[in-house]
Amino acid sequence: MLIVDDEAKIRSALRQALEREVGTIFEASNGRDAISIAEQKRPAVVIVDLGLPDMDGIEVCRTIRAWSSVPILVLSARTDEHEKASLLEAGADDYITKPFSTVELRARVRAAVRRSQMAPVPGSDAPIVIGDLVIDTARRVVTSAGSDVHLTPTEWGLLRVLVANAGKPVTHERLFHAVWGQAEGDAQLYLRVYVAHLRRKLEGDSYRPRLILTEPGVGYRFVLTT
Amino acid sequence: MTPATVPSTDGWRVSGRVQRWAIAFIALFALTGAMLLVRPQLEKVHVALLFLLVVLMGSAIDGSALGLTMAGWAFLFFDFLFLPPYYTLGLTNPLDWLVLGSFLVTSVVAAQLLASAQQRTREALARTLEVQGFSTLGAETLNAAEPVQALAAIAEVIRATLGVDSCDIYVHRGRDADLELLAHAAAPKAAKSVATAARAGGLLAWVGGRNEMAVERPDGTASVGGTMDEPSAGARGERQSGWALSWGEIADARAIAIPLSVHDRSVGVLRVANDPHVDLAPGQRDFLNALSYYAALGVERVQLSADASHTAALRERDRLKNALLAAVSHDLRTPLTTVKALAHTIVERGASPGDANAISIEEEADRLTSLITDLLDYSRLTGGALLLTPQIESADDLIGAALASVRGILQTRSVRVTDDEGAIMLLGRFDFVHSVRAIVNLIENAVKYSAVDAPIDIGVHRVGDRLIISVADRGIGVSERDREQIFEPFYRSPGTPATTHGAGLGLAIARGLALAQGGDVTYAARQGGGSVFSLMLPAAEQPALSE
Repeated sequence: MLIVDDEAKIRSALRQALEREVGTIFEASNGRDAISIAEQKRPAVVIVDLGLPDMDGIEVCRTIRAWSSVPILVLSARTDEHEKASLLEAGADDYITKPFSTVELRARVRAAVRRSQMAPVPGSDAPIVIGDLVIDTARRVVTSAGSDVHLTPTEWGLLRVLVANAGKPVTHERLFHAVWGQAEGDAQLYLRVYVAHLRRKLEGDSYRPRLILTEPGVGYRFVLTT
Repeated sequence: MTPATVPSTDGWRVSGRVQRWAIAFIALFALTGAMLLVRPQLEKVHVALLFLLVVLMGSAIDGSALGLTMAGWAFLFFDFLFLPPYYTLGLTNPLDWLVLGSFLVTSVVAAQLLASAQQRTREALARTLEVQGFSTLGAETLNAAEPVQALAAIAEVIRATLGVDSCDIYVHRGRDADLELLAHAAAPKAAKSVATAARAGGLLAWVGGRNEMAVERPDGTASVGGTMDEPSAGARGERQSGWALSWGEIADARAIAIPLSVHDRSVGVLRVANDPHVDLAPGQRDFLNALSYYAALGVERVQLSADASHTAALRERDRLKNALLAAVSHDLRTPLTTVKALAHTIVERGASPGDANAISIEEEADRLTSLITDLLDYSRLTGGALLLTPQIESADDLIGAALASVRGILQTRSVRVTDDEGAIMLLGRFDFVHSVRAIVNLIENAVKYSAVDAPIDIGVHRVGDRLIISVADRGIGVSERDREQIFEPFYRSPGTPATTHGAGLGLAIARGLALAQGGDVTYAARQGGGSVFSLMLPAAEQPALSE
């Protein structure tokens, strides 16, 4: 694992919090070192702080993502949602806002590592089973407690993108693009409406979603609660 | 109209009318005396021609009035001294009446002709100067990069064209009637005019405030009153003068103050001063009339440009404010991250006697985080640094995100959500993140002020063009007199348990965020005890879907 932060105290705190989760931990205090360590050591996961002295964290994401599929988790002290969305577009897998709880951080790291170790196209073959809900994307069948759930083509399109990125936040923009081809004027509205439809069909309580979570100001995240 | 007291422009400048008349009379008497000495040798025609010369001279130096006066006196002298019988008005030779009559007619006509020709020359010259002035003005105003420089150029053109010592332009600053000297043009010799003008400050303020002109006299007195003609009225020729003060009052002025206005709005004052007197021909007064409108436009341009740079400064300030808040947020959150992570690690190791304290450290760090978030959000709201991104959003997402973020503080408390019967979904146009924050604050408030196991009811409804999300508790409620105050920042209602955490900003922030996006937060007492806080947001229509 690689921890990139310009503050030694944070690196040390993160190391102590995560050392039991992963194997070797490398540290870098700037973007240039981070990129070269990522190239040489091939870590299983990269944690990057946004504010680095030599380059923007978003640049680090983009550079690493250009040649590697290593999961990248971004630490941000800012709560700017546009920034979060652009981080995801730049290749980050997930973000977590400072100050975060250690429990949460570990869960995110674990999820990221697990995702990267899964089959190249996750969920494409084996049906996903969540409680009494079965999602079979290959056969385009969803059953809830044994009975079929009918989904429209648009709802299917949406679900497929979310499931393919299970565990990761998917930006509104990416969803528009994947389902409607282009982010036309009403896509924003359709996205809200179809997500609500999907939730009503797949979840018990649309006000307390467990599968399709809202990432405020950023997008949606499909959660595999096994 | 009174004849102009302007000196002739042919270079033979004689100051003062009295002097000019005296000179004419002295010339007349000297000529008469000289001719008397050689009277026996003179023919009638010599006398007539020489007298005609004096008449023309009078007409030349001070207009037709002096010329005609000279003609009258010359007629009398001619008759009395040079036509026999001498020293009587009677004539021996009746033909001499013809000579005398011809002389009178000739001299009167000549005097008139000369005067009017000179008047025309002067007018033509004045027009030329005016045209030059206007064209210079146009060029100066267009060339000047800064509106203030353009105004200075206008002042200089006015000063030079009118030939006065100084021309100052004063401008209203702000809402008060205070005047500030913005443009000052002075002839090299006149340096003291500004100091004098400062003394006249009260008078200038009066001119600007009342939109009426005023004149200052050398003895320190002043006359006020009267407005100028609408300066933009183009027909300059038809309008002899816009002065309401009489010419006599203006004639001995050492300074004239003219109000400047654009679209009936007073923008400043123009002041021209000259030592000892401001002598303006009617044409020059018209010119000043027209130029003062130029000056008014120049002043308006200065003000508009000041407004524009003020706006730019405000925008820059907002940007800095945002950057500062982001930096403060970063600097405060980063150490908290370390504190939290280390405290958690100590708790997990669980080997030393400090474990219980470590748990408190993590909890307190969380408390500090929420206080910092509150203070930063409140700063953004009050400092105008709030960024809003209103979009079409669903109530499902809104409630879901809010409930997800309060999961930690709800613990075992039950939350019921009820919505409009039969409504498939409710949509609104609002900033999602800020609206989630507003609902979270309402839920936190409900948790804070009600028993640990008391349920919270959330309602989602549409009423007219508003989406209403209500958060109802079975808590202590709010007394009648506190109902508006609870939305005040840092307010704590009496009887709040001392152990209650928070800065007292939750409701203020919730309402601020709602108001910023066209909504509101209101309070109502709940039937059967407790409170209902309602967040109102702009609703949006459901689309017709193709599938």
